Amino acid sequence: MNCSCGVGKRIKDFVKSALFLDFIKGMHVTLGYLFSKSITIRYPDEEKWIPYQRFRGRHTLNMTSEGKELCVACELCSKACPTDCITVIPMEDDTGIGITDRVAKVWKVDLVRCLFCGYCEDACPTRAVRLSREYELSTTDISRTKFEKRELLLPESVPEQVHGGGIAKAKFVRSKDGIKIVANLGKMKKMRW
Amino acid sequence: MLTDKVREEILKITAKYYNKRSAVMDALMLVQKDCGGNITRGDMEDIADMLEIKPHEVNAVATFYTMYNYAKPVGRYHIQVCRNISCALLEAERVIAHIEDTLGIKTGDTTPDNKFTLSTAECLGSCGTAPMMQINDNYYENLTPDKVDAILKGFE
Amino acid sequence: MATVIINGKTSSVKDGTLILDAARDAGVEIPTFCYQADLMGVGSCRMCLVEIEGQKKLQPSCITPVMDGMSIQTETPQILKARQGVLEFFLSNHALDCPVCDKGGECELQDMVYKHGPVEGRYAESKHRFHEKDYILSPVIVKNSNRCVQCLRCVRVCDEVVGRNVLASLGRGHEQEETSFLRSRLDCDHCGNCIEVCPVGCFMRLPYRYKSRPWDLKGTDTICPYCATGCRMVVEERDGEALRARAQIGVGINSETLCARGRFGFDFINDPRRLTTPLVKKFGKLEPATWSEALDFISEKLSGIEGERIGGLASPVLTNEELYSFQKLMRSTLGSPNIDSSTRWDPVVVENYIAASAMTSGGLSVFDAAEADTLFVAGTQLSDENPIVDYIARRISAERGTRIIVASVRDMKLDSSAGLSIRHLPGGLGALMKAAALSLYESKKDKLQGFAGVERFEGLSADVLLGEAGVSSDELAAITKRFETSATVALTAGTDLLRQSCGILALGLLSDVLKALGKEVLILPILDRANQRGAWEMGVLPGLAPGYRTASKRGLGTKEMIEAAAAGGIDAMYVIGEDPVGENPSGVSAFDALSKLSFILVQDTFLTDTAAMADCVLPGAFPAEKDGTFTNQEGRVQAMRRLKAPPGDARAYLAIIASVSGVLSSTTGVCTKTNSMQVFNEIRKEAPAYAGVSLEFNNRKNKLNKLDNREALAGASEGGFTPVAMTSCAPAAEQRGEGEFYLITGNTLFHSGRLSHSSPTLTGLQKGAALELSEADASALGLSSGEEARVQGNDYEVTLPVRLRKGMRDGVVYIPEFFPGVSVERFFTTGVSLPVVKVKKS
Repeated sequence: MNCSCGVGKRIKDFVKSALFLDFIKGMHVTLGYLFSKSITIRYPDEEKWIPYQRFRGRHTLNMTSEGKELCVACELCSKACPTDCITVIPMEDDTGIGITDRVAKVWKVDLVRCLFCGYCEDACPTRAVRLSREYELSTTDISRTKFEKRELLLPESVPEQVHGGGIAKAKFVRSKDGIKIVANLGKMKKMRW
Repeated sequence: MLTDKVREEILKITAKYYNKRSAVMDALMLVQKDCGGNITRGDMEDIADMLEIKPHEVNAVATFYTMYNYAKPVGRYHIQVCRNISCALLEAERVIAHIEDTLGIKTGDTTPDNKFTLSTAECLGSCGTAPMMQINDNYYENLTPDKVDAILKGFE
Repeated sequence: MATVIINGKTSSVKDGTLILDAARDAGVEIPTFCYQADLMGVGSCRMCLVEIEGQKKLQPSCITPVMDGMSIQTETPQILKARQGVLEFFLSNHALDCPVCDKGGECELQDMVYKHGPVEGRYAESKHRFHEKDYILSPVIVKNSNRCVQCLRCVRVCDEVVGRNVLASLGRGHEQEETSFLRSRLDCDHCGNCIEVCPVGCFMRLPYRYKSRPWDLKGTDTICPYCATGCRMVVEERDGEALRARAQIGVGINSETLCARGRFGFDFINDPRRLTTPLVKKFGKLEPATWSEALDFISEKLSGIEGERIGGLASPVLTNEELYSFQKLMRSTLGSPNIDSSTRWDPVVVENYIAASAMTSGGLSVFDAAEADTLFVAGTQLSDENPIVDYIARRISAERGTRIIVASVRDMKLDSSAGLSIRHLPGGLGALMKAAALSLYESKKDKLQGFAGVERFEGLSADVLLGEAGVSSDELAAITKRFETSATVALTAGTDLLRQSCGILALGLLSDVLKALGKEVLILPILDRANQRGAWEMGVLPGLAPGYRTASKRGLGTKEMIEAAAAGGIDAMYVIGEDPVGENPSGVSAFDALSKLSFILVQDTFLTDTAAMADCVLPGAFPAEKDGTFTNQEGRVQAMRRLKAPPGDARAYLAIIASVSGVLSSTTGVCTKTNSMQVFNEIRKEAPAYAGVSLEFNNRKNKLNKLDNREALAGASEGGFTPVAMTSCAPAAEQRGEGEFYLITGNTLFHSGRLSHSSPTLTGLQKGAALELSEADASALGLSSGEEARVQGNDYEVTLPVRLRKGMRDGVVYIPEFFPGVSVERFFTTGVSLPVVKVKKS
């Protein structure tokens, strides 16, 4: 019984190796990628990745359309934070910088500890804390990893009208602080991930 | 400020009660009648002083009962329309709307000539003759818009 | 007794017990809202509804007493649905601004809704908004009525416990608001008990407003460092800053109540002016130094001085352990008998006071005193000095119908609960008590045949005594009648007895007569420093060793030490936490006297006047920065724990005393210990009264509200001591002439001692001292409230604003003690316990 099966398999293997069938099968994938378009992003000098909307990057503290701080310093973000990286100290303010008379005196996030889980976003009762699409956070200066309220209240770097993610051409911008490479949103290619 | 007459009457009333503080409702009523239907801060302080209680206790009584008009001046005729269940079922809302239209004021307001004040009241205990209203101390019952017109005309 | 069946379990409870209490006793939890232990039930919230067999409707368990054979269900589907409905109603008109609310995280409504609440609310109607912005009700209370759940706890606690009655519920229905008269600023005790009892964030602390969230706070159990009531409280800190103090329901004798000093006065801990490093005098100037430098300096300076030429003075706000170690250091290490614990009281008077108030026979629970048939409050301005005792007395007198007699010079809040209030002349308390004793003795002479000490009545005449006391014979008759008809009589022994020592002998006489008449007599000392009793029991008195034993050698008291310093009798002083220069307790100038000393060592938390002229200053720690125990006026020994480290290089006094004794022990070899538990074990051996004391913390939320932890009361001291006989009690007042007044002094509601003046909140509540006098006197002088008056004594005068008091005795003025800029002590020249001053409009 075994004998007849053994013979059949040997014949099959011989035909396969004679016609380079395994080799062609393997090379099919390689050749497919060889002639398809490259997925490597030439980051950061030529291209920039624009994350999709649900991406969780650096925190922002949003304001209302009238420019009032939405944050009421309830400290729920800091309570929800699994790594304890958010510090909130509230204060009373009657001058109307916030939506209530309770505003944050200190709202500080330590991004070295942050794991971008987004719990703070979920906990926020006023939708003040949002994780933006800002992901270029690498630095050689440790003090640049802690963000204070006034830095986080800055307008978001990626406007909300860009919905899906994609790849944009990079452009060089000269400013007083030096040369920066920013995404040129006009030349953006949407990607479907 | 309380007039001497009112003070005298309050003193007379307190004698009827076991302790002075029990006279607070009577005292408020007297003061309200005496000063044109409106109780002020000074009145409450004076009553508290006379009855040896704290002003906030008088304030609590004055704000609890709708029959006291505290801090909101009323006109010469104070119309209170019942809007509780019996009256509401028999279209008290329509009566209120009709009075509002006739007098040109909203509930809670006073006419510019300071004649009528319209307010709504909780059950005034005349459910059998609903819908009803009270103008100053008198009841007007089984109201219809026509009847209301006639009553209001009577005051002009 | 009634037998009830709760959820099928049969239990037996006293008649008249509320269903709620019976259920809690049986271990069945019923959620409550408006219910607050010790307050009158109102049954307004309907959270505690239960099902009683045979009754169709659910009944509120917090106001329904049990009946025999009642069968109660607490967890039926109908009840669960009713609870959901109640909470849905609450939320229908609740602001729901939890993220902004200071109560968020410790809110009873939040907890209740999580536990019993409906999944969603169905009310779509708009909520009633009382106001847009929170309004300030008092310098310490801020109010948001939109969050109110109308439980009336604030109104009830203010009326029934605090006795101020300044809150009422205005309006009705969903417009009902618990607030002051027309939402105006409150003129009250600012005790903040309304804040503590509020289940939601309706009443809030203003100093703590928007500072933190409850889960950020780290708290520890401590004891209020102001008066000697010994209120247990929790001080909470965030990032090293003490933010608030609160009391816990069912913990300590105070339960959830505190006074303004306790609740808002702890913020002296955060004072930036505190000492943080040892200071050593170099070339006439105090310079920062390290601990080893300072200790070397002390050792060098002090070891050359003979023990008996060193004086020691410790503050009665130190812990028992510190005081014990201090007296051990003074007596054993240095060999000096000169040690005292107060700048105000004369040690001989103190000894007599201890004997007369029966402190040697062990602790007396304040609840026993308040539950006595008659409570005679005398010698103390109880409502201002010991507000929590006032709360307890008021609450128990309303609950049990006990009778309170108030005998004082000034009116006090407790008058409203007292059946009898007597305004005697200053210095006349002794005469009043003697007159009461005499009248009791004379009316029951036949019963008191064998009364020992009849000779004490010799030469006493009722008329003369009544004249001295300034009390009418009718009032005296009323007092004696109450005493006669009571089986137990509680007498308070306030600090006025220490000021006017005549009263001490009279207290002894009165209590002896009452005892001879077969009544149970309880004497409750009322003291105004947190650990005054502890200081005496630890032997920080020139004549007493720990445990009320007679000291082997009698030393000098504070006044004598200062006089000795002026005369060159002593060379050095070791002062802990006291400020003899600032307080100047003696006839001679303490500054001049102390400048003659060759060495002054001061341990303190602030740079006081004494510290400023010291040769070496060591920075110490406050309660909440150290472990230890306090003995309150009742003799209750309570432990407190450390919350945070003292600032900078400062150390706990116990550690400092141990280091000082370490460097000075070369001759005697006696060192003190640094661990408070070890020291306390030593105290247990030295003072047998403390041997059986339990320091166990009972910190769980005590549902049965058993506040009286009797295991903490000190036992009786063995052996006892005989006080040095008072040669004469302080001379009677000088006769006052036209335009002259008797001057009395004491603590105020917001300030006691120097400590409270370092608290910004308390200073905000009452900034400066005021001259208090009766309305009649003021109008005679042409003074009205707020105007300035000049008070002239023999060699001191001061200008003060005037405050009128309705119920004050005429011919008397009052100036509080220890106010910066007002050295009222200087009117009290040596030997004069009741000075006469001139008051003029300035």
